Amino acid sequence: MNQTPALHIEDLTVAFDSRPALWDVDLVVPEGVLMAVVGPNGAGKTTLVRAALDLIPRAAGSVRIFGESVARARGLTGYVPQRSSVDWDFPTTVQDVVMMGLYGRLGWLRRPGAAERLRTRQALEQIGIADLATRQISQLSGGQQQRTFLARALVQDARVYFMDEPFAAVDAITERAIVTLLQELRARGRTVVVVHHDLQSVPDYFDQVTLLNVEVIASGPTAEVYSEDNLRRTFGGRVAGIARLTEEALP
Amino acid sequence: MAILEALLIDLTLRVTDLQRLNAILGDPQTSALITGALVAFAAALPGTFLLLRKLAMTTDAISHTVLLGIVLAFLLLAALPGLEADLNSPWLILGAALAGVATVLLTGAIQRSGLVKEDAALGLVFPLLFAIAIILISRLTDDVHLDSDAVILGEIGVVWADARSHCLQDCDEVHITPDDPRAETGRRCTNCAELDIGPRDPAAEFEEYCVNCGRYTAAEAWRARLVSRAPTQVFWPRAITSMLLVALLNLAFILLFYKELKLGTFDPALAAALGLRPALLNTALMVLVSITAVAAFDAVGSVLVVAFFIIPPATAWLLSDRLAHILLLAPLGGVLASLTGYEFSRGNLLGIAQMRDLLLLLDKTIGLDGFIEWNTSISAAIVLMMFLFFLLAWVFSPRQGLLLSLLQHRARRQHFAEQLLLGHVHHHQGTAEAASELAQDRLHLHLGWTPRRTQRVLMRLRLRDLVASEDGALQLTARGERSVRRFMALRGAGGASPAGD
Ligand SMILES: Nc1ncnc2c1ncn2[C@@H]1O[C@H](COP(=O)(O)OP(=O)(O)OP(=O)(O)O)[C@@H](O)[C@H]1O
Ligand SMILES: [Mg+2]
Repeated sequence: MNQTPALHIEDLTVAFDSRPALWDVDLVVPEGVLMAVVGPNGAGKTTLVRAALDLIPRAAGSVRIFGESVARARGLTGYVPQRSSVDWDFPTTVQDVVMMGLYGRLGWLRRPGAAERLRTRQALEQIGIADLATRQISQLSGGQQQRTFLARALVQDARVYFMDEPFAAVDAITERAIVTLLQELRARGRTVVVVHHDLQSVPDYFDQVTLLNVEVIASGPTAEVYSEDNLRRTFGGRVAGIARLTEEALP
Repeated sequence: MAILEALLIDLTLRVTDLQRLNAILGDPQTSALITGALVAFAAALPGTFLLLRKLAMTTDAISHTVLLGIVLAFLLLAALPGLEADLNSPWLILGAALAGVATVLLTGAIQRSGLVKEDAALGLVFPLLFAIAIILISRLTDDVHLDSDAVILGEIGVVWADARSHCLQDCDEVHITPDDPRAETGRRCTNCAELDIGPRDPAAEFEEYCVNCGRYTAAEAWRARLVSRAPTQVFWPRAITSMLLVALLNLAFILLFYKELKLGTFDPALAAALGLRPALLNTALMVLVSITAVAAFDAVGSVLVVAFFIIPPATAWLLSDRLAHILLLAPLGGVLASLTGYEFSRGNLLGIAQMRDLLLLLDKTIGLDGFIEWNTSISAAIVLMMFLFFLLAWVFSPRQGLLLSLLQHRARRQHFAEQLLLGHVHHHQGTAEAASELAQDRLHLHLGWTPRRTQRVLMRLRLRDLVASEDGALQLTARGERSVRRFMALRGAGGASPAGD
């Protein structure tokens, strides 16, 4: 692998009030993989994503996206925030929210036009929420809200996506839809970094995994690093059934 | 300012004629009306975004702390040589804008320190800055017309007092020299004072001099009958210029940055990730809020201005769940409230009733000790109207209105009762006990309802041809059967099962 990685993080430290949330993180995500970021609550997973996108200041370290600084790679990144991060009572519709994914490409001052509406329509259909297009967003179920965010990421047409817990509180059908979408993105050569909570499904859905607990415990192809030992070190042995989990996953 | 006003006058005169314009602006009442409408329009635009950002109380804080900015800028101007400290100086606006931004930043810093919670941080910052401003006003600006009462309460009625006349035609200054044909000559005694003699004294010496020589403004020249035509003048209250400018500025800002403001408000993280600088835009918004608050000081004062920012957007939000519609409705509603509020201050309640009559009525019934004069502050009356509109929207809103939800609740209850009765018939018809269970006059006993209610529900079902009776026993029609099956299917699928009573 001598090509430029999609994401290259070196010596990243992020602190809140001089309490480190991330400590000396090194991470390489090759292009075209689906990577899970796994770790207990408060491990710094959201912080990692936000720091990688330059949304919070770094205490130390560097982030490169396709070899470029984050600011210069803005057009290459897509972001699906944690669902709780926005006010769902905001007076706007599903198609409006999805169209927001195109604002970056439009740039300042330009208004969305017919091309943007078409692109939005396609994304809504692809994600299976076209019939909800004109709904106000508070009238959506949790899974529909998640799909709206995904459709918005899709229209961004980024080369590397960061998704913060897209599988949180969705039903089996929506979960399937998201997995299908992830696989489509990979088939198109996109890179996706997903903060994930369901330890069971990691080996099924992801090529690579990063085990994180303030520091990176292990990172690499799922088959190599997703071991009982590593999980224990990440979760401090507090997860019941870790042994069973990895046995099932790694025959 | 003067140049801008000239420009505005020029534009206005394209749609109306001079006489009408002077009649409108020369009347303190109509000027007040226009100013109030402009304040409402200007404030509702940024106010919508403040409301969506849950910054209503921040607005209140800003509208007070800008005073400190004004005072500091004023004192600085007075201290600097070569600059004149003038209450209409544009530098004061800059001071106000800085103070508004400082309020937001300081509040944010205190919040992040984690010492106190969000609203408490505001409660710390805003009285502090406001108190400093009040102390500075009362200590240092004794000789200046900057009255804290006026700032806090404001009064639209007085905006008219601060006006300028603009001359449009025949404006030339007149300069009378001794050889001008209009010059009048007189004689005066040159040595009378010196010798202490009267002008009739033979020793008095005289010289001729020009009585009316000198420079005259156009208006003075007309009054002195030196020119044959009166200058054409326009009377223009200053507050109208500043409010109009602020309104246009706000409108331009929101039209230009609608998309950026929307995303920056809804999802600042994505806006930042897309490079749309939500923090910068937020600062710009706060600057506009500060400027709007300052411009509105004269008219409505710092206490009530927050109502102009917040109530019309809150009303509009009750009526629509689309941001674009809210941004349209809020200023319109604000202007409407200004117009009706102005009438209300003169005793006319929405054209329905006269306050004087109401007060007289109250005086007769409960006794108001003769308090029957209704003559109130225009800005307070406007705020009351805004609130009244808010209440009306709340009751009648098609989105989450009180009335609607009552009606919906009733409709749901009725529908459920109907389905219950149909279900009962469905369950028992064709069975052995059908005759007793479905007998019309005994139905209410089985359902546990009052006879009246049972009759009402039955009547609705009959009208819609869902049940029929045969020998006094009820039976479902074909339509009734379908309705029951649909309802069962809905419940089986875990769909909406309406609550009973
Ligand atoms: N804005 C903030 N200010 C102070 N501390 C913060 C802030 N954001 C996160 N933290 C702290 O940083 C640590 C990492 O938080 P982060 O949100 O990244 O965790 P996470 O792994 O995403 O957790 P979860 O699984 O609950 O989403 C936590 O201890 C959290 O309390
Ligand atoms: Mg998180």
